[in-house]
Amino acid sequence: MPTLTIDGKQVTVEPGTTVIQAAEKLGIFVPRYCYHPGLSIAGNCRICLVEVEKMPKLQIACNTPVADGMVVRTVSEKVNQGRQSVLEFLLINHPLDCPVCDQSGECDLQNFYMAYGLYDPRFREEKVKKAKAVPLGPTVMLDAERCILCSRCVRFTDEISKTGELGIFNRGDQAEIGLYPGKELDNRYSGNVVDICPVGALTDRDFRFKARVWYLSSSPSVCNGCSQGCNIDLHYVLDRPHLANGARVMRVKPRHNPEVNQWWICDEGRYGYKFIDQGRLRQVLHRGTEISWEEALGQMAAGLSGARTEGKQASVAVLASAQLTTEELYLVRKLFVDSLGVAQCSAQVPAKPGTSDDFLMKGDKNPNTAGAELLGLMGSDPARFDLIERALDGQVSALWVFGHDLVELFGEEKVKRLSEKLCQLVFVGSNGNGTSRYAHWVLPSAVYAEKDGTFVNCHGRVQRIVKAFEPLTDSRPEWEILLTLFRRLEIPVPWKGPEEIFAGLGAGIPAFAGMTYEKVGLQGVHVC
Amino acid sequence: MRRKRELTFWERLYVPEIIRGTWLTSRHFFRNLFLHTAHRFGLLKGIPAAVTFQYPEQPRPLAPRFRSRHRLTAREEGTPRCVGCMLCETVCPARCITIVAGEHPDPNVEKYPVRFDIDLGVCVYCGYCVEVCPEDAIRMDTNILDVAAYSRDGMKLDIHELMDPALRKPLAECKLKFPHRCAIHGGGERGSWEAVYNQTGSDPAGSDPIRG
Amino acid sequence: MFADLLIKLALAGIVFFGVLNLAGLHTWVERKQSAVMQDRIGANRASILGIRLLGLFHPLADAVKMFTKEDFVPANGDRFLHALAPFLSVFFALVAFAGIPFGDRLILGGRVIELQVAKIDGALLYVFAMLSLGVYGVILAGFASRNNYAMMGGLRASAQMLSYEIALGISVVGVVMTFGTLDLQEMVRAQGATLGGIVPRWGIFLQPVAFFVFLTAALAETKRVPFDLPEGESEIIGYFVEYSGMKFGMFFLTDFVETVLVACLATTLFFGGWQVPFLFPDGFHFPWGAAVPVHQWTYILLGVGSFSLKVLTFCWLFMAIRWTLPRFRYDQLMRLGWKILFPIAVANLLVTGAILAILHPGGW
Repeated sequence: MPTLTIDGKQVTVEPGTTVIQAAEKLGIFVPRYCYHPGLSIAGNCRICLVEVEKMPKLQIACNTPVADGMVVRTVSEKVNQGRQSVLEFLLINHPLDCPVCDQSGECDLQNFYMAYGLYDPRFREEKVKKAKAVPLGPTVMLDAERCILCSRCVRFTDEISKTGELGIFNRGDQAEIGLYPGKELDNRYSGNVVDICPVGALTDRDFRFKARVWYLSSSPSVCNGCSQGCNIDLHYVLDRPHLANGARVMRVKPRHNPEVNQWWICDEGRYGYKFIDQGRLRQVLHRGTEISWEEALGQMAAGLSGARTEGKQASVAVLASAQLTTEELYLVRKLFVDSLGVAQCSAQVPAKPGTSDDFLMKGDKNPNTAGAELLGLMGSDPARFDLIERALDGQVSALWVFGHDLVELFGEEKVKRLSEKLCQLVFVGSNGNGTSRYAHWVLPSAVYAEKDGTFVNCHGRVQRIVKAFEPLTDSRPEWEILLTLFRRLEIPVPWKGPEEIFAGLGAGIPAFAGMTYEKVGLQGVHVC
Repeated sequence: MRRKRELTFWERLYVPEIIRGTWLTSRHFFRNLFLHTAHRFGLLKGIPAAVTFQYPEQPRPLAPRFRSRHRLTAREEGTPRCVGCMLCETVCPARCITIVAGEHPDPNVEKYPVRFDIDLGVCVYCGYCVEVCPEDAIRMDTNILDVAAYSRDGMKLDIHELMDPALRKPLAECKLKFPHRCAIHGGGERGSWEAVYNQTGSDPAGSDPIRG
Repeated sequence: MFADLLIKLALAGIVFFGVLNLAGLHTWVERKQSAVMQDRIGANRASILGIRLLGLFHPLADAVKMFTKEDFVPANGDRFLHALAPFLSVFFALVAFAGIPFGDRLILGGRVIELQVAKIDGALLYVFAMLSLGVYGVILAGFASRNNYAMMGGLRASAQMLSYEIALGISVVGVVMTFGTLDLQEMVRAQGATLGGIVPRWGIFLQPVAFFVFLTAALAETKRVPFDLPEGESEIIGYFVEYSGMKFGMFFLTDFVETVLVACLATTLFFGGWQVPFLFPDGFHFPWGAAVPVHQWTYILLGVGSFSLKVLTFCWLFMAIRWTLPRFRYDQLMRLGWKILFPIAVANLLVTGAILAILHPGGW
């Protein structure tokens, strides 16, 4: 195994590693435009120049394989001069668009210019004009002038999405990226080219002009779009509600997790954040009239306690949801199954599988199906599927629904009858849907961005979601609603919040043995 | 540092100094009283008796650098020069600027403000917005000082008043041709780019708003 | 009897009318004089039918404003005392004028009318008593407001007023000794003579030191700049911080009434009151022997005019001082009162006594 020295530090790496990767291992950052760890090496941007002893010229770190005894300097007068010259070439035809460019603020041209450039421009000629604001597809806008031809996007469509829509056309300073004739950048992962574009050439049409990136706050989370559980960063703005008509979340960016999604995320997950700010339930409703949380939860608790004392547990049914966090599902189980003895408690519904592929998208569109399974709430008993039929038969008098749209699942007619038949139809959910229209009680709950918790993805990886901001006024996270019910029913539970519930989960459920939020971290761990 | 000066005996007596002070003010009093009286009879008009400016009839001359109410500069066809880069919104220490950016049909312009509001009730008149603007799109040279309103909402300027400093609230009609968010007649989107270019007869650089 | 009552009522009416108008006018003078002194124009915008009249309508506008403003009483304040305080202030300031003679006796239809609202033997004592009672208004205002700052202001004000009353009183005792009477009318008459036939025998010439002490202490008594610590219009909060509307207006008025009162006192004690130099009931008698006889009415009017002129001059002087000097610090104020004015007044008293003892060895 070759051992080399980079900036005076020794490192031993696998043969075939490149210098940039070896430097990464040492925590030394080498600037790059065309190099991306998830893509093949192109070596065309030349910004990653480093000095290698006994080599007459500067070498590109991204495409120089390591050799034993190599001595590399990533910082030196020569290296800086080299990088400065490279930048000067790259910026020759780059327009001075920064104020109107969406990339500005997270642009590597800006960053590296401030770090290695800072030269007096010598270019006095006319810049080459190219097409601006060209939509490449439903999600991506191209500004050919801003492109520095790093070819990351081209390699992405070739290697990752394997759709190959993009290519580089023409030669010299007329070269520009573009679509092959008759093609459109409309694959399921198209949004990723915006993330990997180091400059403002490819911008997200959804995010375009919405906000400046320096307005954004970021919070790590996990996509709730499917059971893959891709790691994401939620980018949100709380103090400038005018930017997107009051919406808080501005965009979703994938977060690197080598075990789950690497650097990528599908478009369905990327643009699936809008429900966080749209169509949210804002009031506790009892048959259409507003009611306070205290009163509503008091009546809920009274109903449940009545069922318990009269031994009518069989008349209560609960439809939990695999959209809930593991903590909340645990509370659902504790409350309804363990404490009240409700037998009909399941998170399983006859939902049709959504789009899926062999990469990131899974057909199961719930992020926590595996978690519900581990807690015994997904039961394979097919009899549970006829819950609605039994309810219509009059065997069930109280039905709790967490988030599901029964109208979509069973049809409007049935739900209408159900609503008439049941004594109590409780809907706990964040957004209005068919069920919330027919439910007797509507308890508005928080979305995943507004609460702490964990999801277990389809590969059994326990991953944290982190509360980014407060729930909307008058909505509460499900765990808080459930803990209040515990208190109202005078069932003692030792927990005050998700972290403690998860620790309780770690103590009580073998699959989560010994887990805490600290151990799960931001990259997640596998269930035992 | 200026140290306290020891008072002389004469000054410490206090009374003479009081008389001296009163003498000074009284001299002004009688001189000005005489001049005021003379002015009443049309005499000695050349010698001013007071330094007062009778604002608002007689506005005070303003320095060229004076920062007064804001305005948005316009392009030839009457649309704002502003490209909606939000740098002023970013730099504003009082956070009184509200911008919503929209897509401009000319791809070389890219952005323009669909909404541009300044809340003068919050503005501190620091002039950073003017300083930071890359397009010379906002200026504080209207020489409007009498910014007053009966409500907080009245202090909020929208794009109409900023484009045309002569406008005063309440605005009865909207004359802006380009699409913008408008509080007049409801609050929806008003105007269209076709109206702008048909009116002036000019053609934007790329007549096709979306080139592809 | 009825005629006497009518005459007294008329006199009281004249004095009230004069004093209140003068006090009201003071608000205008305050604005205009300060403006002219400072090369400004001053308030001139209030107009009736477009007539501005040098801003003379501003006092009127002020009054309208004061009466129409909200009358605010602090939540925990004593409503009764809160209302009583400004009345006390303005009442005592006004009734003090009853002792001030503003003209010589008028003989009308065989009836002798003293141009003084109340003929009191100890008029000086009466005026001083009323002046001293004014402090109740101040301390009550501070107390009734239930506001710590107002309370402190009230305490400051009463301490100041009590301190300066001592110097004020002692300085006046010298004058009393000189003229040998407490009756202000008699005192004015005593100033009718001349010293060596040339200089009028006014208090200022007999008691110059007492005059300066009196002037300073009197300024402090009116709580105006440079002794305006109790009010501290601009920064240190005063006893009437919790007052608004006309109640505040009454405190404001009291200040001006007191200014007029002090001007009247200074005139009476030191500037011969209604005396006109060389004018005697039968006419002018100049030192060089010339004599111009005047009618009794002319004589009375000249006297009243002389009195008014002197009072107005003092008012002007007070205003000039108010707009010239900066405010004292509280320790400076107290030191001036106790360590400077008080000893000077006492010394003046001793010297006066000694001189009187020499001049009149046998006593009066």
